[in-house]
Amino acid sequence: MSENLVDLIVGLNEKEAVELVRKRVESGEDPLKILDEVRTAMAQVGEKFEKKEFFLPDLIMSGEILRQITDILAPKLKAGTETKRLGRVVLGTVYGDIHDIGKDIVNFMLDANGFEVIDLGVDVPKEKFVETIKEANPEIVALSGFLTLAYDSMKDTVEEIKKAGLRDKVKIMIGGGQIDETIREYVGADAYGKDAVEAVSIAKKWVGA
Amino acid sequence: MSKSPEELYKEREKRFNDAVELKEPDRVPLAPLTGFFPMAYAGYSFRDGMYDYEKMVDAWEKATVDFQWDMIPPSFVMFPGPVFEALGVTQMKIPGRDLPANRSYQFVEGEYMKADEYDELLTDPSDFIIRKFFPRISKTLSFCAGLPPIRSLASCYTLVMSGPMVAATPDFLNALESLKTAGQELMKWLAAQNRITTELGAQGFPLLCQAMAQAPFDWISDFLRGMRGTMLDMYRHPEELLKAMELFTPILVEGTTQLARLTGIPRVFVPLHRGAAGFMSNEQFEEFYWPSLKEVLLQLVNAGLTPMPFFEGDYTPRLEYLRELPKGKVVAHLDRTDIFKAKEVIGDVLCIKGNVPPWLLCTGTPQQVEEYCRKLIEVVGEGGGYIMDGAVAGIPDEAKPENVKAMTEAVLKYGMYKR
Repeated sequence: MSENLVDLIVGLNEKEAVELVRKRVESGEDPLKILDEVRTAMAQVGEKFEKKEFFLPDLIMSGEILRQITDILAPKLKAGTETKRLGRVVLGTVYGDIHDIGKDIVNFMLDANGFEVIDLGVDVPKEKFVETIKEANPEIVALSGFLTLAYDSMKDTVEEIKKAGLRDKVKIMIGGGQIDETIREYVGADAYGKDAVEAVSIAKKWVGA
Repeated sequence: MSKSPEELYKEREKRFNDAVELKEPDRVPLAPLTGFFPMAYAGYSFRDGMYDYEKMVDAWEKATVDFQWDMIPPSFVMFPGPVFEALGVTQMKIPGRDLPANRSYQFVEGEYMKADEYDELLTDPSDFIIRKFFPRISKTLSFCAGLPPIRSLASCYTLVMSGPMVAATPDFLNALESLKTAGQELMKWLAAQNRITTELGAQGFPLLCQAMAQAPFDWISDFLRGMRGTMLDMYRHPEELLKAMELFTPILVEGTTQLARLTGIPRVFVPLHRGAAGFMSNEQFEEFYWPSLKEVLLQLVNAGLTPMPFFEGDYTPRLEYLRELPKGKVVAHLDRTDIFKAKEVIGDVLCIKGNVPPWLLCTGTPQQVEEYCRKLIEVVGEGGGYIMDGAVAGIPDEAKPENVKAMTEAVLKYGMYKR
């Protein structure tokens, strides 16, 4: 049995990975060092997803391992240990649509690749996007939608951002089950990503990473 | 000389069946599914589709006749709102109640069954579904939680004593009025459904399908455990998940077969969700999704039915698996799969249906739609074995009528097979 935390996480060995973190924390090890290894592991998980070695069950399992490890580490970590991020993304499923699978994968992958993600959830009113852009000042807005009704909801949301005078302050990407380049044009977004991997590469390009 | 409705009915059935059997029909059949498109087209709200059965009938008849579809799209997808309300079903968001009046209903997925409940489910699925699942998703049916174990009803005279005991509980008495309403509404809705079939049947239009089936994985994933739940189960409880799917396979098939026999419509709609390429790997598909789905499809074929699996999403990397299905018996409705490649890989085994993209139908021009349809007819329609339809769940709710009309014109213009 490997005692390497990164390997255990990437190998999705849930029990062993969580147990190892518990032991190391109990032995007084610096939680920041452990957290660093966890980040390395999650970046590798993201890479495996990009290379189509990992799929949703694997991402979800790794997320579940991450959650348990974070639960152990959180009480030991002092506030203000936030690492520098590549950029900030406001993400949400547009109004009228309650689907979250695609959005959650994009969240996971952006996070794994060093972005700070503000996830507004599903059925997000267009005003909520505007409000959040004003408050959080993100570089990127990512609109998700699964149903064809999302075409108009996305278009309306982009319009609303325009009306608020914020269109030039953010780059907007869209994605989802029934989206393609035609819809990007229709909506007036800056880019369409066919999956979470493309979402990451577009985001990286936009922040110059 | 114009044909009689009976002749037209037979002609349309034959056109469809020839395509299913991988033969060349007289022309490419056009038999789309729809959601709320007919409601929008007829000038009604989406909410009307679920609440005003007269308007629903009117919309369905108008759309089918105006677009000259070869078959009536299944109207059961316009679920009866009042029935869901009377039962207090919490698993569905309804237009005009939880969503704007012109947005489609949507299911709320959740972990309605916990991971540690597999034992109960496997021991007695009826008991679990009746006493645990339904009370969790329906306020009215919460009284079912107070029922004695369903197995115990099989022992001597239990129902005589336990039945009245349940009937005396406040939960049950409160539910009575709602159950009555649900029953009355359902009968009204069924009468409306029958009117569509009868009235359009008299004009020569057969119904595409009435019965529905699911992949066992999806039944558990969509309704019981949620996607997150089943995908974690693949790691934490693989044995139980596989056993549950095996257990449900004949149950799902029996229900579908009964309904198909009752209605006399052999075609079965099988919407698929979690087996698509983006969701799981081919290895995971082969272990967890495909075997039980294949079994459902085979059993439906063996029962003399024509399953029409709707492969939502992308199945391009899975096409080889689909070749395992019996030749000329199944209609593969494709969404984002490369349909032209599919023709090469599965065209000699499965009839292909699809896949005019929603973005074209909703935001494109009739010329663009016609162009895409022409390509579909020329390439996928080559030698027969092709039925035209939209991609995701058929004609999108927000499609432009002129674009839907362009599909009809395309099959008439380019879809004739030379005799």
